[in-house]
Amino acid sequence: MTGAPHPRPVVILADDDEAITSNLAAFLDRAGFAVHVASDGEAALDLVERLDPDGCVLDVLMPRADGREVLRRLRASGRWLPVLLLTQVGESGERAMALEEGADDYLNKPFDPQELVARLRAVLRRARPGRRPLSAAPTLRAGDLRMDRISRRAWLIDAELMLTPKAMLLLDYLLTHPDELLTRDRLLEVLWGFDFPVGTRAVDNRIAELRRALRDDPGQPAWIETVAGQGYRFVARVDDGR
Amino acid sequence: MVVSRSYLLGASASVVAGAALGGALQVTVPGARLYMEVSPGLAAGLVGLVVAGIAAAAAWVRRRAAAVTARALRRAAAETARDRQRFLLRLDHELKNPLTAIRAGLANVQSAEAATGTAYALASVSAQTDRITRLAGDLRKLAELETRPIETAPVDLPGLLHEVAEAANEIPAARQRSIRVAVPRAPWPLPLLDGDRDLLFIALQNLVANAVKFSGPGDAVEVRASEDGDALLVEVADTGAGIPPDEIGQVWEELARGRAARALPGTGIGLALVRVIITRHGGQAAIRSRDGQGTVVSLRLPLPGRAETALVVAGPRQRRDTPGKAAP
Repeated sequence: MTGAPHPRPVVILADDDEAITSNLAAFLDRAGFAVHVASDGEAALDLVERLDPDGCVLDVLMPRADGREVLRRLRASGRWLPVLLLTQVGESGERAMALEEGADDYLNKPFDPQELVARLRAVLRRARPGRRPLSAAPTLRAGDLRMDRISRRAWLIDAELMLTPKAMLLLDYLLTHPDELLTRDRLLEVLWGFDFPVGTRAVDNRIAELRRALRDDPGQPAWIETVAGQGYRFVARVDDGR
Repeated sequence: MVVSRSYLLGASASVVAGAALGGALQVTVPGARLYMEVSPGLAAGLVGLVVAGIAAAAAWVRRRAAAVTARALRRAAAETARDRQRFLLRLDHELKNPLTAIRAGLANVQSAEAATGTAYALASVSAQTDRITRLAGDLRKLAELETRPIETAPVDLPGLLHEVAEAANEIPAARQRSIRVAVPRAPWPLPLLDGDRDLLFIALQNLVANAVKFSGPGDAVEVRASEDGDALLVEVADTGAGIPPDEIGQVWEELARGRAARALPGTGIGLALVRVIITRHGGQAAIRSRDGQGTVVSLRLPLPGRAETALVVAGPRQRRDTPGKAAP
């Protein structure tokens, strides 16, 4: 934008609460983004049309096209820019929908602004300009592992994996966020939508379930690597299934 | 009322008709046997009377049941209204304090001359904001747990209890308590439970953390499990501070915080969370406490389709002598 060697990424921030956009926009600006604010969904779509931004932060609850509708319309028109949804209700259904509709990530309100910056940087880094993001792909492939995200089924070579719904949700998140350090707290939020006082064992249990199903050796992981004291990383290369 | 009068009318009409048409009751004595000859009219009258009686009784039972139900509903509605009122007052209280602190902090920032004052005020505003954030998060947890589908699978309760105790031992204060888990192995191990392991972990962890929180160095915390017919019983007991009698009635409610808890961190959501998780599993939770002596929370979790276990209950031996003999 400024002609600098590394231009500031252009990001659209859409939320109808002025108290939120004014404070967040200033924060994102200081964090190195060129922020444009939209106060409703239609305005956000107009801005995407005009500016061809690098990414979008959409609140779910907005007048004149809510965040999910904006996301649907963007994807339907073949725009694959990274989208981060700000969810309010925190219901598991809403999260699942956000992922199914091709959001690259989501964040529950109220959140730490630093966390928004970290997620935004991560989705921008992951973005493959002009190509469909993994999070919007209906099927994914990683070596011998295949996942149909719509029917929530997965196969290793030809054998279907028998997983609990939560383990499947976790696998979906790992596959759509490959090669990223995912903290236990983050994964707990994926599974449950909120942080439990002491519940990160719940994540470890599901990871163990996935490793058993994938016959992964934690000592020599081909799929899921443990990052000591921090969390997990999906280490296999993931591709769009089609 | 109209209905009941018509039944009475019907009943008396049947009797009158029966008596009139039947005329006299003939009693004959052929040989040694006694016969009663009843006229068709009287028979019809009696049948009518019985039918009308049954119908009247049924209507009365229905009316009584309706009255009882209506009274129970009114009571439940009043109870709900009271709960809601208490909840709103608590919410108001929980929000008011941090908001007051935030406003005071911001006023200090706006008028601060010394940079040190500003730093202190900002730290305080930040801490109070965290407090409100935690509260909002806790309330959402509760709301979600009440509605989200529960993912059930067989749960090994002893394993879960040991995991809970292990996690509790990681609480810094727990080091000076003795936390013990007692699980029976005879006559057979505890059967598997059908439930959401993560949620049950959270419920039990909350109870053990509470036991640690409301007890002191040297106190004992015991986690016990047993089988009781078609359910598993879990008890989390401590020799801690106990709960005053005037507070125990409200411990399962959202945001309920006892006087003793005011000085301790927490939002008063823990036991409400336990209640929601246990009731979502079809179970029951109860609490008994003695002020200054300790507290025990009992959970009853139903077991899925049980294999029949023969049960013979021993009663007192039949006494030949009459009761009251040994009275004084």
